[in-house]
Amino acid sequence: MSGIFDTDAENAWCPGCGNVSILNAVKKALERTGKPRHEIVLVSGIGQAAKLPHRVDVNVFNGLHGRALPAALAIRMANPSLTVVVTSGDGDIYGEGGNHFVHNIRRNPDIAVFVHDNQVYGLTKGQPSPTSDPGWAGSLQRSGVIAGPFPPLAAAIALGCGFVARGLAADVEFTADLMVRAIAHKGFALVDILQPCVTFNKKNTYEWYGKMVYKLPADHDTADRMRAFERALEWGERIPIGVLYRREDRPCFEELHPCVGDPPLHARETPAEAVRDLLRKRLFTLP
Amino acid sequence: MGFDVNIRVTGGAGQGVHTAGGLLSRLAVAAGHHFHATQDYMSRIRGGRNAYSVRVREVPVRAGREAADILLALDAAHVPHFLPSVSPTGFVLCDPPAAVPGTADRRVIAAPLRELAVAAGSPILGNMVGTGIVARALGIPAETVDRVLALEFKGDFLEKNRKAARLGAEWAEGRVPEAYRLPEAAFHPRMILSGNEALALGAVAGGCKFAAGYPMTPGSSILLGLSVDGPPLGLVFEQAEDEIAALNMAIGASYAGARAMVATSGGGFALMAEALSLAGMLETPVVAALAMRPGPATGMPTRTGQEDLAFALSAGHGEFPRLVLSPGSVEEAYALAHHAMEMSEAYQVPCILLTDQYLADTVVDADPGDFPALPVNRRIVRGNDVPRDARGRYLRYALTGDGVSPMAVPGEPGITVVVDSDEHTEDGHLTEDHAVRIAMVEKRTRKGEALAMQTLPPLLAGPPDGEVLLIGFGSTKGVIAEAREILSAEGVAAAAVHLRQVAPFPARTVSEILDRYRTAFTVENNRTGQLARLIRAETGREVAGAIGRFDGLPFTPGEVSERVKERL
Repeated sequence: MSGIFDTDAENAWCPGCGNVSILNAVKKALERTGKPRHEIVLVSGIGQAAKLPHRVDVNVFNGLHGRALPAALAIRMANPSLTVVVTSGDGDIYGEGGNHFVHNIRRNPDIAVFVHDNQVYGLTKGQPSPTSDPGWAGSLQRSGVIAGPFPPLAAAIALGCGFVARGLAADVEFTADLMVRAIAHKGFALVDILQPCVTFNKKNTYEWYGKMVYKLPADHDTADRMRAFERALEWGERIPIGVLYRREDRPCFEELHPCVGDPPLHARETPAEAVRDLLRKRLFTLP
Repeated sequence: MGFDVNIRVTGGAGQGVHTAGGLLSRLAVAAGHHFHATQDYMSRIRGGRNAYSVRVREVPVRAGREAADILLALDAAHVPHFLPSVSPTGFVLCDPPAAVPGTADRRVIAAPLRELAVAAGSPILGNMVGTGIVARALGIPAETVDRVLALEFKGDFLEKNRKAARLGAEWAEGRVPEAYRLPEAAFHPRMILSGNEALALGAVAGGCKFAAGYPMTPGSSILLGLSVDGPPLGLVFEQAEDEIAALNMAIGASYAGARAMVATSGGGFALMAEALSLAGMLETPVVAALAMRPGPATGMPTRTGQEDLAFALSAGHGEFPRLVLSPGSVEEAYALAHHAMEMSEAYQVPCILLTDQYLADTVVDADPGDFPALPVNRRIVRGNDVPRDARGRYLRYALTGDGVSPMAVPGEPGITVVVDSDEHTEDGHLTEDHAVRIAMVEKRTRKGEALAMQTLPPLLAGPPDGEVLLIGFGSTKGVIAEAREILSAEGVAAAAVHLRQVAPFPARTVSEILDRYRTAFTVENNRTGQLARLIRAETGREVAGAIGRFDGLPFTPGEVSERVKERL
């Protein structure tokens, strides 16, 4: 396969890694947006998933662990003509960056966020992540995870996120389609992607997901927030994939912010006369 | 010395201490004089014991003074606390001190603040009655008071305030000493602003187009300034969910081509440390204003200190060049904020503006000529100026002679901009190649060397050689300058050096200056003598000692000159 966003970057992922499928889905989705590469920015934090942007021929901001969202938000604020997509891991977005996840859903910037959710820390070799199933024993938590799992989709719906979906790494076409819709959605769009980690997570495997997941039926009403919330809480015997919730009536952050817009910040000037006007306000003169 | 009167307004939060202090400052300027105002306030919204000191002279004033000549105590219960700082010839105004111990002092004048306030229309106008009394003591005509009040208040409230001030002035007739009447002087329009207001204005004038922050005293008023003064010039401000987000946001905006900054205090800056390192690695220009307060931890939130010098110099893991500027006055806060914006972009380094609560809240009248609209030189490259490899790819980290790689921004047709917090190749992609690592470390080092060539020299005041040299950085500039004048007047050949840049450190200049004086002391608001250690590390020279103060309050000139004399 060769596409317009391909690069010659070396693959550093394991054979069979779900990241490879997600990479293919991302490239397909970006192609389908029809946008030129110079208008797309992929933003990531740190982790195996966060290396994905290096393998796509677009603008790349590969920042700090957990801090993809603040950078992505500011890139949108600085230049709303750029298409900004965050693609990073569950530890990055839900763990280290949990506070930014919460508050950027509140802000609702026009950013698509793809979370490679493999329920484990891969780059640091096998520690449980915020979405690990309770009882699962990984490095650093040998006697099993005690904390309950972070429910990303339920949390996003509760916070008012306008596009909440779940993909499956193994199904590239299906996931790419969700990504296209997430990018098209005006506002914060979350696609949590179930991703097997063939090296460190021997529980949530391709086979396991194959048995558990089901595609949301055609009659699922994505506008029904309470029903979406119920679906978001399903985990274990049945795990829904597809668009759980969608709301289009909420203006995005960039539209509401009084100073964001055209021209982009890099093109805004600082005329001396405007500076002098500003300084004159501090000049004390008697009436 | 000429005319020199120090007025201190005290009271609880919510009693109008700030309003009265601000008005008395403006009245002094309206009368053709100059002032320096400082605040000493507690970390609370109501009550407590706050002070606003306004020192008035015939010449521009750049330091406060411990002894108050006029104490306007809006809460009579505070009189025993503040009385020891009232000069022997001074006087105190407060409501009849019914049962307050210590107020039997002959300097205390019982003034019917509350009674006249009620007569003017509201008991909350006690501060304005007091302002009227003090204005009368200064000999400021009622008509001037009326005009200045009109700049502050409107409508019915203006009339009530005018009435309160008038009742105060009438009551004061024949009841207050005449010793503090201001000499006749001609009025000139002056800039009136605080250190933090000036810093924010300087950043906006320096082309800052993005700012983010999380509130933290004493940095918050910089954020306030940016959020109010910035938007008319196209600045986008966002309150962040935490300081970590704030600096990562500023770096993201900078990547997209905006001049960007954050402002905080020590605790918030600690949270920013990782992102500061990110700016070093990505080579994204960014400015962080660090307004210091005493630590460790929460410390004394509303008081002053200079304890974060070493922290500002070393914050962030790994090695990367940085610029650390330390403004010493309201004028320098403006000029150096502009300079920070220019230099940070020119050398693609993070810049820290090191200020503190004392300078942040210091208000002075300043010469409008010291607030120029300076040029903003953007360095973003486009089109044919973008360095590319043989395949046409943009080399964000192109290896150049001075280490500065031409910076393009995303959105530029034909190229992509790739940046990575990992060590990276010239095109921005992560690498673990050791030879590339060495090349990139050397590139960043060269950038630091180029930055060092542009170091702002320290400012020397006084004789070119002599007995004693006083060295300070940041907010102590005015205090040390006046301490030096006091010492000179007493026959001690003293000079003062003010460091407005501490990284890269002006090592050669400081060495040369140090060699010309018999002895030298640093003057710094900390316990451990961080500046003295820095001088030793950078110049190999030892100062005789550090004159420190770490109680949370600023130095005063008299205190510094006395402590220098003790050690000579």
